[in-house]
Amino acid sequence: MTVSSAPEVAFGVLPRADGSARYSHAGYTVLASVNGPIEAQRRDEHAYEAHVDVIVRPAAGVGGTRERHLEAILQSSLSQLILIKNFPRCLIQIVLQVESSPENDYVNTKLVQASLNFALMPTLMQTAILALLSAGVPMRATATATAIAVSHDKTVVDPSPRDVETARSVHVLAFTSQDDLLLAESEGDFTVKEWDDIYEAAKKICCRPAPDGASMQLDDDDSSPAAVGPDLRQFLRSTMESKVAADLHWK
Amino acid sequence: MPREHEPSLNEKQFVTQALQENLRLDGRELDQYRPLELTFGDQHGVAEVTLGKTKVLARATAELTVPYPDRPLDGIFTISTELSPMTAPSFEVNRPTETEVLLSRLLEKTVRRSGALDTESLCLVAGKQCWSVRVDVHVLSHDGNLTDAACVAVVAALRHFRRPDASIAQGVLTVYTPAEREPVPLSWLHSPYCVTWSFFGDEGATALLDATWLEEQVRAGSCTFSMNQHGEICQIAKLGGVPVDAVALLQCASVSLTRVKEISDLVDRRLAEDLKRRDKGGFMAELRAENDR
Repeated sequence: MTVSSAPEVAFGVLPRADGSARYSHAGYTVLASVNGPIEAQRRDEHAYEAHVDVIVRPAAGVGGTRERHLEAILQSSLSQLILIKNFPRCLIQIVLQVESSPENDYVNTKLVQASLNFALMPTLMQTAILALLSAGVPMRATATATAIAVSHDKTVVDPSPRDVETARSVHVLAFTSQDDLLLAESEGDFTVKEWDDIYEAAKKICCRPAPDGASMQLDDDDSSPAAVGPDLRQFLRSTMESKVAADLHWK
Repeated sequence: MPREHEPSLNEKQFVTQALQENLRLDGRELDQYRPLELTFGDQHGVAEVTLGKTKVLARATAELTVPYPDRPLDGIFTISTELSPMTAPSFEVNRPTETEVLLSRLLEKTVRRSGALDTESLCLVAGKQCWSVRVDVHVLSHDGNLTDAACVAVVAALRHFRRPDASIAQGVLTVYTPAEREPVPLSWLHSPYCVTWSFFGDEGATALLDATWLEEQVRAGSCTFSMNQHGEICQIAKLGGVPVDAVALLQCASVSLTRVKEISDLVDRRLAEDLKRRDKGGFMAELRAENDR
């Protein structure tokens, strides 16, 4: 059940979209397409900035309140990153299609889940960022996101559905590439002290400085080795570097 | 949302004129499919079909519900098709277009009404509990011939799918989680596949298979044959378009059968490969008592 696979990404999966990316991490696979800037509908048109439209589609069943909530959170965070003032009266459309999510083998899942699945958020965020980069939409910064679950004795990074179920609280944090906090959503019972610890742990995962050997040893003051996730910023950087290298191969 | 751009007059003329000379823009034969590829996800019941640039993802799921009061002995089986803006920005969320309605209708007729899935086997307690099997078809990219690709995806997803095992002892229904008992496959009766013909010119003089999006926009009419590998026709849909000679249609039907056999072979092969990939050590591994720690 603990699918702690390394993040993987494929760019340009969809031939007809402006940009697309398929990203899989911690058992979740999300496919994103980005179209934009395109003509906005009258009701979405804004005289001074572009409208960012985020659509989250579940793998099975129809989208409900849960997806609308995720969309709202993602939309407000991504609007901060995209240079929307550059494209007045336009629309930047981001469609996130969840392809697979890890299953909990110990319960029979219902199709319509009442609670918001916070564990999915970082994957959605990351896929959206990668697809935006693939579409060449100008952005202020990139972002990295992570989910952390706190159960009675330990913190789990990239929790599995079983971890989420048994956890006391689940947190999603995202940081921009300038080390600023972009998004902080929490669910469940927790203290301020706990949140501070979560913040530090998440910052360590999302904003790890470029590897120079010394920083790798500092992580062991954390409660468990599981609290150290993959180096997301380095991943984002290296995949984009290889993509650019491949794209400019003809030069 | 921006409207989908239509091919220009020159483009249309070029395509039709080339087809009169039996030439297609991508150099294929008239009755040749684009390379069809089928892959399965890590989970059961996830199938992705790639047909040229057309990509369709189908996902099958099952949940327990109460059967319909007028059909107490039948389970519920639904196919839901929704074209998202991922397909093209001209599609809006929650506003079905004609393409979407026609696609879901054709899939319903082909898979559901032909009795490919034994719905009676989905019933657990008559009138009280049954499985509701649902297939979600996600069109990721549309480059023509959506029907054929979606049909392969739906059939493959359903055949790949495993539902939780259940048993009834002394009137008590127990549904086992995947950790307790290995999920079981659905009772599948036959595999119907769609083959869509596009007609060009007056009286549908030119008929071709697996039209691309450009060809679909130019065509004068189309006809979809749904049949299984034994040549049993499930449905024929010819919705409007130019009238086509009956003899030509019969010929189309016989060519469709060979294509259906090819598709059917591919799906069987991929399913067998996937089964082999998942099979970890076979029967002896299952008998082992130790856990993977």
